[in-house]
Amino acid sequence: MQTQRRGRLIVLEVVAFALAILILIPFFMILINSFKDIRESALFGLGLPSVWKFSNYKDVFEQANILRGFKNSVMISASVVVCVNLFASMAAFVIQRRDDKFMRDTFYMFIVGLIVPVSIVPTIKLMSDLHIKGTYFSLVMYYTAVLLPFAIFMLVGFMKSIPRELDEAALLEGSSYFRLYFQMILPLLMTVLVTVTIVVLVSVWNDFFGPFYLMTDSTKWTLVLQVFNFVTLYSTNWGVVFAFMVMVVAPVLIIYLFLQRFIIDGLTAGSLKG
Amino acid sequence: MKGRKYPLYFAFPALAVFLLFFITPTVIGFYYSFTDWNINADTISFNGLDNYRALFQEPRLLTAFKNTLIFAAAVTVFQNVLGLGLALILNEALKAKNFLRMIFFMPYVISPIVIGYIFRAIYHPSNGIINHVLNSVGLGFMAQDWLNNPKFALFSIIMTDLWRVTGFSMVVYLAGLQFISKDLIESSSIDGAHYWQRFRFIVFPLLAASLTVNVLLAMINSMKIFEMVMVLTDGGPGYTTEVFFTYIRNMFSTGQFGYATAVNLMLFVLVTLIGVPVLMGLKKREMEY
Repeated sequence: MQTQRRGRLIVLEVVAFALAILILIPFFMILINSFKDIRESALFGLGLPSVWKFSNYKDVFEQANILRGFKNSVMISASVVVCVNLFASMAAFVIQRRDDKFMRDTFYMFIVGLIVPVSIVPTIKLMSDLHIKGTYFSLVMYYTAVLLPFAIFMLVGFMKSIPRELDEAALLEGSSYFRLYFQMILPLLMTVLVTVTIVVLVSVWNDFFGPFYLMTDSTKWTLVLQVFNFVTLYSTNWGVVFAFMVMVVAPVLIIYLFLQRFIIDGLTAGSLKG
Repeated sequence: MKGRKYPLYFAFPALAVFLLFFITPTVIGFYYSFTDWNINADTISFNGLDNYRALFQEPRLLTAFKNTLIFAAAVTVFQNVLGLGLALILNEALKAKNFLRMIFFMPYVISPIVIGYIFRAIYHPSNGIINHVLNSVGLGFMAQDWLNNPKFALFSIIMTDLWRVTGFSMVVYLAGLQFISKDLIESSSIDGAHYWQRFRFIVFPLLAASLTVNVLLAMINSMKIFEMVMVLTDGGPGYTTEVFFTYIRNMFSTGQFGYATAVNLMLFVLVTLIGVPVLMGLKKREMEY
């Protein structure tokens, strides 16, 4: 019985590792090919390069303004994190606490936003009518609008577990609603805000759809949009293209390796709350 | 305590941004879908049902509709079957459980567009890894031009997306399995319940919440698929892998804005018609268990 069980475990372990290799091969493929020259990298092989071409990485820096893209991605992601966390937590606070008809309707409206797709062409038109088309501001607002429903959904769920007596005590002591929100509620929401932040960062950093439609000026492109454009221009030299992709993926993966527990829990906890 | 009036204005920033940048485009989209709005016209004028009439006579829309549904159905089913299978394996007290969990989840944090490019290389007809492997194990007859063969192109896109999202479902199921007490599983195995029965009658019903989340998210997200298809096949060969968002993008880039908006509205209706009843149905099922 015991040996049979151990045997079964070993089989399962082998299956699991074999599948894990399937996940890892594509990552290994771009990494190893990013060090190959133009001819060898076009073969997409998994072998070591005959000559290590580290200059591919230098070429990326010379040909694409990667630092600018990086700066744009960081700036846009950070702004969306601030807007979503602040607006969503403020809204969730009163949506859950008031719990009247208007607030319930508001909540359902946000829930609908969780399901339906963005109407992209009218969004572009709206941005140009508001004279903000192609600005960082327009992209930040677009992302905030798209990500608010998820954040509010999570935060309202969590607000229920914060006892009203806490509010009552603070308000009786003469605290204003603003102080109550900033000094009591916000610190208690911190764990959920970490989750929201992770979801927002991963979604915005990796998104292509938004900047593809909304950013026409190449100096404001995010890294992901730069990759797209770079491949269109340089797809004859896969070594350099792969080097670019490694540089886009690397920061995300490094952070992921260190904070994997938080990131996995964050990205999935949100969904389980429902 | 009931008398407390929490100030409404706390909700204003969120409401303002959401109403202006999400609801407004959706609502004006209804209007624009009934206009001849395009890149050449100076003015936008109402043209009644013309866009919709054209839309329903356009075989490309039908193709996009069909492909979106096939893609969504296949990804939803297999993402859940594979994700659940992996979760059950990892739940069996494997030593490397956390390490494996980290590996399987990894593709989910990477930009889908980069994944698209990586798989374009992997599917390459003469140099790609897949055909190399098939040739070297004597299965060369199965080698394909994966992305340019109309019979396999959509299948290849589905496989790529499964590679990306299966780990997500796995983690959600793993979290669900954690709530099921070990006693419950073990006592039933003493009773002689076989693995399949135990799974069917005890474990699976208790995973209802995880199933709801996984099915709903998989369906909604896969109907909105865009960049992966654009990078892998751009709807080709011909229009054989066209989905809603690649079609919208094409209509947009040829300047047919009113028409593109009408197509977008069709997707809106489709997602709502499928998403809302499924959400209701699954929630009800979850209650019953």
